[in-house]
Amino acid sequence: MEIEEKSQTVDPEVRAYVYSLVSAYQVGGSSTLEDGRYVLGDDALACLKDLKRWLRLYDEKTNRLDVARCLAEANLVQGDLLEILAQWPDDATEDKLKSKIALACLELLVPLTWPLEIEDMRMTVNHHRHLPFLQLAQVSYKRAILHHDTAGILQTAVRICLPSMAQLRSERSARDEGIIKLVLYFVRNVAIIAQPQHLPSRGDESEITRSATVEAFQKQNIFRLLLTVSCNIGDDFTTQDVVVLEILFHLLKGVDVGRLFMEREQLVSSNTEELRRLIQKEKAMLSGYARHGPTRHNRFGTLVWVRREDERVSTVSGQSALVGDQDTLWAMDKSKKWNKPKYRGRKTEDPSENNEFDNSTSLTASARKQLRSFVEEFLDSSFNPIFAHLRKAIEREADRVLPVHSRQYFYLIAWFLRAECARRTAAKQKSATKSPTAVPNPEDESFALVASVLNQETFILLNRHMQRSQDEKQWQDLNAGMKCFTQILLTVQEMSESPSEDDQEIAENIQNRIFYEEATHDRIIALLRSYKDQGFGYLDACTELSHVFLRMLERYSKQNLDLQVRSKRRARTKKKAKQATQGVSAEDHDRGSDAEDVAEAQRVTRERKFDFARFSARSMTQGCVDTFVAFTRFYADLSTEQLKRAHRFFYRTAFKMELAVILFRVDILQLFNKMIRGPEGLDPELPAFKEWEELVRQVFRRVVKKMQERPELAVELLFSKINATIFYLEHGYEREVPKKT
Amino acid sequence: NTASSAAGLGIDEEIKITRKRQPIAKLDEARLLSTAGVPKLRRISKDRLKFRGKGHEFSDVARILNMYQLWLDDLYPRAKFADGLKIIEKLGHSKRMRMMRKQWIDEGKPGATAEDHTEV
Repeated sequence: MEIEEKSQTVDPEVRAYVYSLVSAYQVGGSSTLEDGRYVLGDDALACLKDLKRWLRLYDEKTNRLDVARCLAEANLVQGDLLEILAQWPDDATEDKLKSKIALACLELLVPLTWPLEIEDMRMTVNHHRHLPFLQLAQVSYKRAILHHDTAGILQTAVRICLPSMAQLRSERSARDEGIIKLVLYFVRNVAIIAQPQHLPSRGDESEITRSATVEAFQKQNIFRLLLTVSCNIGDDFTTQDVVVLEILFHLLKGVDVGRLFMEREQLVSSNTEELRRLIQKEKAMLSGYARHGPTRHNRFGTLVWVRREDERVSTVSGQSALVGDQDTLWAMDKSKKWNKPKYRGRKTEDPSENNEFDNSTSLTASARKQLRSFVEEFLDSSFNPIFAHLRKAIEREADRVLPVHSRQYFYLIAWFLRAECARRTAAKQKSATKSPTAVPNPEDESFALVASVLNQETFILLNRHMQRSQDEKQWQDLNAGMKCFTQILLTVQEMSESPSEDDQEIAENIQNRIFYEEATHDRIIALLRSYKDQGFGYLDACTELSHVFLRMLERYSKQNLDLQVRSKRRARTKKKAKQATQGVSAEDHDRGSDAEDVAEAQRVTRERKFDFARFSARSMTQGCVDTFVAFTRFYADLSTEQLKRAHRFFYRTAFKMELAVILFRVDILQLFNKMIRGPEGLDPELPAFKEWEELVRQVFRRVVKKMQERPELAVELLFSKINATIFYLEHGYEREVPKKT
Repeated sequence: NTASSAAGLGIDEEIKITRKRQPIAKLDEARLLSTAGVPKLRRISKDRLKFRGKGHEFSDVARILNMYQLWLDDLYPRAKFADGLKIIEKLGHSKRMRMMRKQWIDEGKPGATAEDHTEV
């Protein structure tokens, strides 16, 4: 493989220096005398320190990756560092020299396994040259670390920091804190490394998958370490919170919560169910092809004329065109060569795969079990302390908090809330099957375990996060925020249905607070309306959020008929009067932070009676419909639950709000028609198919009726409707506008 | 013969014919508003669409879709149906198109002008 050849681009002198440091006489090597065991070189410690200095003073100072590449080529990690660590015996923890050497090894391992990120500003040709090689080298490092023959490398690394951790925080020196941090970063690096998608693999991904990581963490007591650090956060540990957050994120991202909390039999049955569903889907697909496919060999040479107006004809070849009008036209369309150029979007997101969370990963059975027990313990002991602590750190913008951390923070909140709910349902099912009469333990029933993220401070932070990422167009951040908010809503919902009266009351309060701010309502609608090419994960998140929010708000406003909301809307006449008198634009006032402006804000902030019908009408504008149409275009890949979500939205739009006219657009009709009648439509065996067919039939009936009533719709069918004419098209007369006097 | 004489005259080097690329036909407002565009659509939708009504929703809509597809194929053969629809939808947002659309709708209103007068 070309990529593994010795690179010609590193300064030969640098290479010579580094190689000589790594060579056997300096660091060490396997001995011929002692059965090939690894023996330390005489000056091993000094050599390790020199190597560290090389990394720092050459690579970091001059912004290169040359030394890292030489070290990868010289096989330092597998050949020396891991061997030295493996030889550090349990009983020699007190040995000064040996623990020093172990620490020196770790100090080299951490920079070598550090995630390589592409930052446009700092990248040079040199980086682009070395990056692929180093990424593959890191994969092999990870494999060697996880699967060392004789010793648990991770466990050994933890042993290095144990003396420092044992001390009280007040007595720890800066060096002790550094060592703890070093070990945690090592664990994080190991958790992050994954096979890069765009590079050739060596066929060994199975050894570094998430499952392998989880199993190694379990076997080498890393989960214990994480629990210890995170449940003592605030007392014994303070600055380590963000590292733990990162480790958790990289461990849990993309893991399906529902499957994690299934019992074994349940999982097996769900797996068979899924297999059955997939086979069924394939069958439906094949039968779809068969229906529209040719029945003779491919050189049968059918040629069909399509008679057009003015005695013209178009020709279509292939027998599939014979079957019916539909297929003929479809074949005609398919034979066109030109495609409308697509807008690919500006690349604003960071291109590394490390911070993605929309790709799902699967776990092996044993890894799932281990991860599940860790998650349960984490929820029981550590969730509240660490998430409260992190919130404070993010709020006061501590130095250690990077922008990416708030994304990880909200993603993890969503993940753990979902996990808590899944655990609850699992426990409920279990108790129901075992002894239906058993009284549930009030301790287990309480939502106190996740209370730290259900308070007002978190909501404020979340709102601010969503607003900012929306303003700055950080879609991944916004995606995480939306997922988090959805999950909070669902949790509160579940809480309000809990048998305990305390929980109900708390849930009522939280709902009060969430639904009180009209700004929140506006944001949900704005998010739904403004989708544009942000990817499927985002689309899924924003449609789910609006679906859940609308449903709960509806229920809540039915229960509380006199619901008031705090609105920032102001009377227009007042604004105009103010502008006239002061000559200041209103926007400046809103942005300013002077005391006067605060007073102004208080003046315009008033309570209004909430009107659900109005709100729901606002959430059914053309933009929202377009978003849901974009979502529905993925129909072949949507789950039953997602299909249902889209169905509800269209149903609500067309029939509850009587705005079916908004759906009367040729591309939407075509999509609906294709979904139900094919080719390549929805599988008729799907449980959601019946509902969809009925919905589409109803929409179609209305379209046909409207077309007959109002022939001018033929043109309007091409376009998104103008607000001014929508009412006329629907009802056939102009809206009576109450005249202002 | 002529070539050599042309070379002798020294004009051969100067004449360089850069052939201009044939401009690609665009689906724009002008095309959409031409006779083959919306006016034709309004005409054919009136006399070509015959619906069978209740119980035949899908075949009726298929007929509508086919009409649009053939119309679009005549108007702008280059684009696939879905792409063409996208382009047209986008065109519909311009100010001029919106005025036109409003006008078309108003034309369809039963005695729109007369009603207005009676109201006032």
